[in-house]
Amino acid sequence: MYRKQVRRRRAVLVILVVLALVLISTTFSESKSGPLHTVQQGVASVFAPLEEGATRALKPARDLVNWVSETFNARGENSELKTDVQKLRSRLARAQSAVGENQQLKKLLNLDRGGALADYKPMTARVIGRPPTVWYSTVTIDAGSGDGVAVNDPVINGDGLIGRVTDLTHWTSNVTLITDPESAVSGRVLPNGPDGVVQPEAGDPGTMLLDFIDKNEPIHEGQIVQTAGWSNGTISSAFPPGIPIGEVRDTTIGQQETYQHIRINPFADMRDLDYVQVATNGPKRPGVGG
Amino acid sequence: MIVTWRIGLRIALTMVVAVVLQVSFFSYLTLFGTTPNIIPLVAVSLGLLGGAMVGAICGFALGFVLDSTLFATLGVSSLILLAVGYLAGRYREGTEISNTLMPPLLIGALTMAASAGFSAIQLMLGVETQVSLLILREIFVQGLLAFLLAIPFYPLIRRVLRPAIVDDVVAGRRMRTPISAAAKGRKRRSRRRVPRMRRATGMS
Repeated sequence: MYRKQVRRRRAVLVILVVLALVLISTTFSESKSGPLHTVQQGVASVFAPLEEGATRALKPARDLVNWVSETFNARGENSELKTDVQKLRSRLARAQSAVGENQQLKKLLNLDRGGALADYKPMTARVIGRPPTVWYSTVTIDAGSGDGVAVNDPVINGDGLIGRVTDLTHWTSNVTLITDPESAVSGRVLPNGPDGVVQPEAGDPGTMLLDFIDKNEPIHEGQIVQTAGWSNGTISSAFPPGIPIGEVRDTTIGQQETYQHIRINPFADMRDLDYVQVATNGPKRPGVGG
Repeated sequence: MIVTWRIGLRIALTMVVAVVLQVSFFSYLTLFGTTPNIIPLVAVSLGLLGGAMVGAICGFALGFVLDSTLFATLGVSSLILLAVGYLAGRYREGTEISNTLMPPLLIGALTMAASAGFSAIQLMLGVETQVSLLILREIFVQGLLAFLLAIPFYPLIRRVLRPAIVDDVVAGRRMRTPISAAAKGRKRRSRRRVPRMRRATGMS
């Protein structure tokens, strides 16, 4: 009797492990319209109203817990912020003069088109789901194909670039964040370049890396990095140019290396996303499906 | 655990509530720099209460629902959670859990193992960028938070599944044995007898 139970238990374990491995390999190999993805979308559609309801209902409780947690952290942050304010004051003065200069130049060049996403239709969405993993790779939002959202639409918030839409149901979308370990965004260091590739430091949403910048290029702390919107006519970046990504924290140059090691502080806090904006119905970018 | 269809329904409901709570509540919290994860907690609890088979099946199902809801690679969470559910169940089948601190400790340790396993699978599936050492701290803190969360959550899950837990059913029956029932009866009778005696003797 006991042996029979043991055999049955082992059989169930083996079947489940094999099933899990089959699921992993099939998910990787099949297309987005394959049967497993359809099942996944079905389950996500069923759970979407529950998630949305729970997100709204539990917001006060969430805010309370986060408030308590933030109060503990506030002491340490206070002194850091004071030094930041001093730095920012001097930077603001420089920026204000640069803004005035910039507006004059734009008028001269007839390029004032109202920002990087002027050609897009913005769609505000609420974040209704986050994964519990330590990778900060995706979030689920409450806007889907029914709201005009398409795959590869850029997603931003008030601070800067968040990511892009990678999966859709009628009511919800899955946004792959720029902190996802497989994410790479072409970025430009302001004011005049150079261009590089912005990648995350996996597991640390407060740090990103700007790669492929020649070690002879002068890059300084505090320089802004924004999307480059790279395109060669056949293929292009999924993101239009001009969306702020972050600012340079520090640079190191290895003796034997061709490129600099540049660390960036992203403007958007991926741990604290409540509302985001999806840039929908934008101009077709070559090589970007959607 | 005796799994009837009613108990199956309770387990399914527990898992659905856990996934919705995780995705819509716990994932938004930042405690000690990381987010609490109650999904391994639920898988381990079900394993500890129901044994290896229940733990493995529930872990697999939890992982499937979680991956589907988050559009993640199907099978990754299932593989990890079925392993921790199975291990918890095997521990329960081989050891008598007499210390009340044991389940939370086990939940904390297995949550840490689940987080580490998940990160390892993600790395194997391809991470083309640097990995921060902060990830180790997050894994440790997630285990610690799971230990703390298990203190209220494990008894809650146990309460939900109480009718199916063999130990509790046996304990309940033991409480109703003829001897204890007779003792109860005697107690009741003696309580009743006092006023009568008082009446007879005229005591106030």
